[in-house]
Amino acid sequence: MLRPRLLAPVFGLALVLAGCATVPPETDPEARAEYFERNDPLEPLNRAVFAFNEAFDHLLFRPAAEAYRILIPRPVRTGIGNVLDNLLVPRTTVNQLLQGRPNEAANSAARFIINSTLGVFGIFDVASELGLEPRFEDFGQTLAVWAGTSNGGPYLVLPILGPSTLRDTFALPFDVALDPWTWIGQGDQVQGLRMGRRLTQAMDAREQFIEAGDALRAQSLDVYAALRSVYLQRRERDIRDEDRPQVRRFFDAR
Amino acid sequence: MRVYRRGLLAGLAGVLLFAPPAHANTPDAAAAFVESRGAALKQVLDSDAPLAEKRDRVAEILREAVDVRGVAQFVLGRHWRTANEAEREEYLRLFEATLIRNLSARFGVLRGLKFSVSRAQVRGEEGVLVTTIVEQQGQAPVQLDWLVSFASGRPLIVDLVAEGTSLRITQRSEYGAVIQRGGGRIGALLDAMRQQLSTLEQRELAQN
Repeated sequence: MLRPRLLAPVFGLALVLAGCATVPPETDPEARAEYFERNDPLEPLNRAVFAFNEAFDHLLFRPAAEAYRILIPRPVRTGIGNVLDNLLVPRTTVNQLLQGRPNEAANSAARFIINSTLGVFGIFDVASELGLEPRFEDFGQTLAVWAGTSNGGPYLVLPILGPSTLRDTFALPFDVALDPWTWIGQGDQVQGLRMGRRLTQAMDAREQFIEAGDALRAQSLDVYAALRSVYLQRRERDIRDEDRPQVRRFFDAR
Repeated sequence: MRVYRRGLLAGLAGVLLFAPPAHANTPDAAAAFVESRGAALKQVLDSDAPLAEKRDRVAEILREAVDVRGVAQFVLGRHWRTANEAEREEYLRLFEATLIRNLSARFGVLRGLKFSVSRAQVRGEEGVLVTTIVEQQGQAPVQLDWLVSFASGRPLIVDLVAEGTSLRITQRSEYGAVIQRGGGRIGALLDAMRQQLSTLEQRELAQN
């Protein structure tokens, strides 16, 4: 079982050594334009990492997310999700400040205070009821705002973490550093909590993506290309803050 | 500027004789269009008619409400121009069939959907973006935005945007990748579409 997984990165490395995707010649301007629009010069390597990620998802990640859905009742999952979202708010606040949006940062700070107290450690999203809608900002978005473009450079597929760009990959360590929870507390228990938070975050995100992911895989003629397009479009929307604030529900509305 | 360039005479004649009623391409008209087509679709999806009849009626609604040819051309992009007549015809046939089977293979799941139009905004020359919220039993509501174009004189859907992801842009990138990986041949795409269609046909039989 381990061998194909070990082979994937080795295979990928070989592909990189064999060269990146070739740029179409000057004589075919339309193909060239498409090549630069796609912005995926490392496509052969990315596809290899993607194949590895798909295997990982199929064998481990999706089944775990399904188990999470089956074992933990919906209202509990919603509460957990709200706590996780609330823990992300300080990082959002910092990024909103870095993006020069003090009013939004103040809203986020208010959200965090309200949900952490009235909302009992973030379990209940009281702030949304009061009209303070959830927003999410990360350092990748901040870099895009600073650069004045949503073009994040070459598309990258990271092992386990999945779709990214050069900009968003560069931003990852900053997001860890900008998250206050990285700096609060020490010792094994705090380390355990941090790890637990990260794992639950992954389960929560994957659980919500079960249906959409299945549909995408069933419909696509090329899942890799479809996911690349979806990721880039979503990031663009996030950067422009055109995303719809999503409030989690404890029960179905009907 | 553009109106000015068209010339005064043509402009006057156009305004006086051929201009459509002022309300014909407003956000309200687009919203009403999406509302009525959605209701028609929902009626078929919720009905107990036999599978083939349901599929035919869905096909009829789609052909009338969606600019299938325009979307298909957009999705094929630059390859549309290099395709020969036979390839174009086969591509259009497969594109429409896939669109319809993608729905008919999911008739079971699509039963009992609830949808509501929430707003409509003008998107420049592209048309009007009509926002709907679709609710499925046991799942979080999904926002679907329908881009309605009036370019042909009557309202036609030209794109579907699901939670910020444009279907036609995603599909173009996908189809482009299939052609590119097939050595630049449109035949490679047609083969893949044929295979997908037969998979959908099998799923339709299994699920209904």
